[in-house]
Amino acid sequence: MTDTDSTTTGPLAPDDITADSPFTLPGFFDALAEGRLVAARCTECDTHMLPPRPACYGCGSRAVTLSEQPRTGEVVSYTSVNRPPSAFEDLAPITVAVVELDSSARLTGRVAASLEDVAIGDRVELRVRDPGTVGIDPDFDLSYEEEWPVHVFEPI
Amino acid sequence: MSRANLIAVGSSPLGETDLPGRDLFSKALAEAFEELPDPADVVDGLYVGAQSERYENQIMQGTLMAEWAGLRNVPAERVEACAAAGALALKNAVRDVRAGVHDAVLACGVEKMTAGGTEGATNALGAAFERALEQRSGITAPATYALLAQRYLHETDATERDLGRIAVKNHRNAAANPRAMFQQAVDIETVMDAPAVAPPLKLYDCAPVTDGAAAVVVANDEVAADLRSRPDAIHVAGVGSAANNLAVAERDLTFVEGANVAASTAYEDAGVDAADVDVAEVHDAFTVCEALLAEAAGFAPEGRGIETVEDPGDRSAGWTDVRINTSGGLKARGHPIGATGLLQAVEAYEQLTGRAGDRQVTDADTALLINEGGVADAHTVAHVLTATDRGE
Repeated sequence: MTDTDSTTTGPLAPDDITADSPFTLPGFFDALAEGRLVAARCTECDTHMLPPRPACYGCGSRAVTLSEQPRTGEVVSYTSVNRPPSAFEDLAPITVAVVELDSSARLTGRVAASLEDVAIGDRVELRVRDPGTVGIDPDFDLSYEEEWPVHVFEPI
Repeated sequence: MSRANLIAVGSSPLGETDLPGRDLFSKALAEAFEELPDPADVVDGLYVGAQSERYENQIMQGTLMAEWAGLRNVPAERVEACAAAGALALKNAVRDVRAGVHDAVLACGVEKMTAGGTEGATNALGAAFERALEQRSGITAPATYALLAQRYLHETDATERDLGRIAVKNHRNAAANPRAMFQQAVDIETVMDAPAVAPPLKLYDCAPVTDGAAAVVVANDEVAADLRSRPDAIHVAGVGSAANNLAVAERDLTFVEGANVAASTAYEDAGVDAADVDVAEVHDAFTVCEALLAEAAGFAPEGRGIETVEDPGDRSAGWTDVRINTSGGLKARGHPIGATGLLQAVEAYEQLTGRAGDRQVTDADTALLINEGGVADAHTVAHVLTATDRGE
């Protein structure tokens, strides 16, 4: 939840936007692969955004900084994808949820539990999986996505 | 500023058809121009709404549709915001006519969704959702809307059965619409017993995969008066649009803010209030959307959008007398993605010109259209249409 050692408080300069920075998708997924979930945090209105981006949808400010997120949160809504896209067929039915992390950042992800075992308000923890172990058809990945980790929530 | 009028409409058959996209467009065009001169003598620009090139491996839809209409060397552009593409085409046509850029513009939409089967449609529609975290979690259109529905049922008194009744109402309306894909009623037990697609949404909560096209002619007052008698034209009195969040996770799951902004903008542009609206075509891609949009459009109190199925006299205090989705909506009229926003305009045209047959709403003179793309209000386009004789 603490801000990273990034000194960026936006607006981002062109030189800030590199594949090493979590402000870009390659940088965000590199950090995730190392176990750090990094959001953009608006220093004006405190909106947290996953993945990070250069401006705040809450207030329009570009005064954004990077903020490492807690891994735990609670289920805001959930469902089961009974007929998933073809690349995810082997995983069906897929329980998915919108989760609000303890920082207030929200993201969607699969839940490693059957639908009957999930309810709104349940506590979950984000885990990171190596893409090759999840069972998604590798053809789904774009060339630049192949090494990106895949997240999943586990009930706690 | 010139005034924009809808002077003619057409649609193709809706459903699984043996016609490719361009031929579906030919059908819609033929109907729209049945009583008009050649398109080249009427319009000098074209917008076409088309969701995805994955269905038919064809982009350059602006050029293709213009060619099929006999238009040459005129501006002709494809617009895209997933299922809001059709209304975007209408919005751009109206903008051009109002600004005096063109005297008349053809707005059309087309989608050949069955070309790749259900799997092809699922994969093509999946591109409308946020890629990095949400597509990579395996979500689909029904699943994103199920996340809205689950939360709506959690926060309000609404039940799955209440959502199911919206599908029943829209099938009943479609039974009176000769353009509709499903012209037959269904009962609530059939709806409730249908298989779950993404709980709490079941088969009948979801709009179908549909092939179809629609075309409408937007013209200024001079062209309208030249070609049509007054009762055969309606005004496009108000326009509003808004882009909200792409990711389902980051939105308000039970209040479609972008739709509220788009509808409010359209009302203000037209100088009307929600209470003035007699008929509304709202984007019921999934049953829960109709409830959410009834609230966002100012028709229903918060949490009571499900009363869209009731006769106006039986609704809670705070509801207006509007009739919603008299066409049968996306659910039962059909939902050929890029054409849907224009099919909504076709229904408004028929209602406001007294052509709606057995589903005609008496004295309907003001209509609201809400067309959405992405999950919920990721993109919303709203139009207010009024009968030409209204208040004149």
